[in-house]
Amino acid sequence: MLLCLVSGILFFNACSKKDRIPGNGTVYNPTFLTLQLPAGWPAPAFSIFAANPLTEEGFQLGRKLFYDGRLSRDGNFPCASCHQQFAAFATYDHDLSHGIDNQFTTRNAPGLFNLAWMRELHWDGGINHIEVQPLAPITAPNEMGEQLSQVLQKLKNDTGYVRMFKLAFEDGAITSQHMLKALAQYMGSILSYNSKYDKVKRGEANFTLSEQQGYTFFKAKCETCHKEPLFTDFSYRNTGLTLNTFTNDFGRMRITGNRADSLKFKVPSLRNAALTFPYTHDGRLYTLGQVLDHYRNTVAPGPTLDPLLTGGIPMTSTERGNLILFLNTLTDTVLTKDPRFAAF
Amino acid sequence: MEKATRYRGWGLLFTATILLGTACSKKDTPAPDEPVGVVTLSFSHTVKGVPMVLNGPAYTNALGETYTIRKFKYYISNIVLGNGSVSDAEKESYHLVDQASTASLSFNLLPKVNSYTTLSFVLGVDSLRNVSGAQGGALDPLNDMFWTWTTGYIMAKMEGNSPLSNQPNNRIEYHLGGFSGPHSVLKKITLALPPGKTLDVRKGQISAIRIAADLDAWWQQPNSISIAGLPICTTPGAQAKAIADNYAKMFTITEVINN
Ligand code: HEC
Ligand code: HEC
Repeated sequence: MLLCLVSGILFFNACSKKDRIPGNGTVYNPTFLTLQLPAGWPAPAFSIFAANPLTEEGFQLGRKLFYDGRLSRDGNFPCASCHQQFAAFATYDHDLSHGIDNQFTTRNAPGLFNLAWMRELHWDGGINHIEVQPLAPITAPNEMGEQLSQVLQKLKNDTGYVRMFKLAFEDGAITSQHMLKALAQYMGSILSYNSKYDKVKRGEANFTLSEQQGYTFFKAKCETCHKEPLFTDFSYRNTGLTLNTFTNDFGRMRITGNRADSLKFKVPSLRNAALTFPYTHDGRLYTLGQVLDHYRNTVAPGPTLDPLLTGGIPMTSTERGNLILFLNTLTDTVLTKDPRFAAF
Repeated sequence: MEKATRYRGWGLLFTATILLGTACSKKDTPAPDEPVGVVTLSFSHTVKGVPMVLNGPAYTNALGETYTIRKFKYYISNIVLGNGSVSDAEKESYHLVDQASTASLSFNLLPKVNSYTTLSFVLGVDSLRNVSGAQGGALDPLNDMFWTWTTGYIMAKMEGNSPLSNQPNNRIEYHLGGFSGPHSVLKKITLALPPGKTLDVRKGQISAIRIAADLDAWWQQPNSISIAGLPICTTPGAQAKAIADNYAKMFTITEVINN
C-alpha cells in the first residue's frame, strides 16, 4: 500500500498538480518572490534567478542547507562555520578559516552579500556562476571534505529534506542541481544596503565632518576600483601585495593562464569592511589601518602592479583617520541581525 | 519549440520513466504527429584497432611509450544529422560516453524521417552550458567531469599508469577542458557516412550508426605528445588544446544499419 502511494507520488504528482494526496504537506505550490533591488542601484548585468525562479520555499531550503553541517564529511563544517552572519558572512577574526581535519583554507573568506551583482566568484574569479560555487567548498579536502554523492544520500535519508525539496521544486527530486539552486536562492537574496552610508545617500542620516572628508578622499583615490554603490568594479588588480610564498597564490593567473594576470585579485567590496577583518586575499592585514598603511607605504612595484597604485597612495594621518571613519559607515547591522538569514 | 515537444513525446515511449516526470511537468501541448524514427548511436573504443580494456594490457604510443588505461570518458553534445540543406538537431543533446559503463556506450536519437549523409557533434560541452550554473542529467557534477576550482566541464578524461610517468604510482591523468579563448578544447566533429551510404530514418523503424573511437589518436597528429614529457594535464591551456587537436580525429563511422 505504502509502496503504491510512494510510486504514485513519484510518477504522477508532476502531472496532476491539483489533486494531491491530502494531509502530507508536500504540495508544490510555491510562493514566488522578487528580489527587491535597492533604489538607484544598477540592475545586475544578468539575473541569477532567471533560470532559478526565486521562491520562499527554495530560499528556506537554501537557508537550511547553508547552516547544515551534514554538507561536510564529519558534520562540523557547514557553510556558516566560515560565513558568519554577525561578520557579514565572512569568517570573523580569522586570516584563514578552519576546515575539516584541522586544516586551513588557503584564502581569506569574503563576506557574502550583494552576490546577485557578482558574475564571477572567488578571489581569482574562477567560479562563473553562483549555483556551482558550493561544489568548491563541499568537495575541497581542506574545507568540507565531502563527496557530493554522500551529501545527497544524507539529504535523502532525512524526511525533513524530502519534504522541503518537494515544496521547493516541481518534481521534488533531491538532486545536486536542486540543492545548488536552493543555496543560490538563499545566498543571492542576501543584500547589504542599510549602512549609515546608505542612509546618508537616502537622506535619512548625515555624515560627521570627518566621515565626509574621508568620503571625499575615497572618491578621489579609491573609487575607481571600489566603485559605488557596490564598492567594487569586479575587476582583478594587483595592489602591490607581494607573493605569499607559503600558498604561492598568483591569483587570477591560475584561471587565465596569462602572465599579465599574475598577482591580480578581485577587487573586494568594502561594504561591512569593519566586520570582515582580517583583510586581503590571504588575510595578511589585520586592521583597516594596516590596509591603508599598505596603500601608503608598502605597495611593491612589479610588472602587473595596477598603474593607479604606482608609488602608492600618499595620505596624511588625518586623511588616514578620516578614511577609517568613512569605511566604518559601511557597516550594515540590519543585515547582520536580519532573522531571515539567521540559522534555520 | 515544436521539435522539443516532439522529442519529449517520443522520449515517453522509448526511454526511461525519469523522462515521464519532465514530460508531464512541462505543460507542453501534446506532440503533433510529425513522423520520427529511431537511430541508435553506439560507440566502441579501441587502441590501434584493438578493443580497449580498462585496467588491462599495456598499450604503446607512437613514441614507443607503454601505458595502461583506467578511465576513459568524454562528452558528446549537440548532435546533428544532416543531408545538404536538411538537418535535424537533437534537443538537450548531452551524453557522457564512458568506457566503464556499457549503458553509456549507446543511446537513441529520435530524428525526423529523412535520409541523412552526415553526423556531426561537439566533443565536449558547449560553452553556454559551462556558464549557466547547476545542470542535471549527463551534466550533473556527480559524474565527476566538472572542475570546482575553475568552473567548467572536463570534456574528455583519460587516466591510467605508465612506467614513463614520474608521478606517484606512475600515474597518468589527462583531464581535458577549457571552453573559451585560444585554448578551448571544444571540437565540432563532422563525420561523413561511408561513400554512397545514407542513414534512412523511417517511422517506426530503428536504424543505427556505429562509431569507433581510437585512443591512439590522442598521442599524435598534429601534435606529438610524450607521456614522459606530459604525464599529467589537468588544467585548461595550451597542452590540453594540443591533445584536443589530436583527439578530434579519433572517431570513424564503422557501420550504418538501415532496417
Ligand atoms: C572552511 C571554510 C569555508 C566553508 C566551510 C565554506 N566557505 Fe565559502 N569561502 C571560503 C573561502 C576561503 C572563500 C574564498 C575562496 C577563494 O577565493 O578561493 C570562500 C568563498 C565563497 C564564495 C565566493 C564569494 C566571493 O565574493 O567571491 C561564496 C559564494 C561562498 N564561499 C559560499 C559558500 C557556501 C555556499 C558554502 C557551503 C556549501 C561555503 N561557502 C563553505 C571559506 C569557506
Ligand atoms: C587599483 C585598484 C584599487 C584602488 C585604487 C584601491 N583598492 Fe583597495 N583593493 C583593491 C584590491 C584588488 C584589493 C584586494 C587585494 C588582494 O587581496 O590582493 C583591495 C583591498 C582593499 C581592502 C581590503 C578589503 C578586504 O575585504 O579584504 C580595503 C579595506 C581597501 N582595499 C580599501 C581601499 C581604500 C580605502 C582605497 C583608497 C585609499 C583603495 N582600497 C584603493 C583594489 C584597489
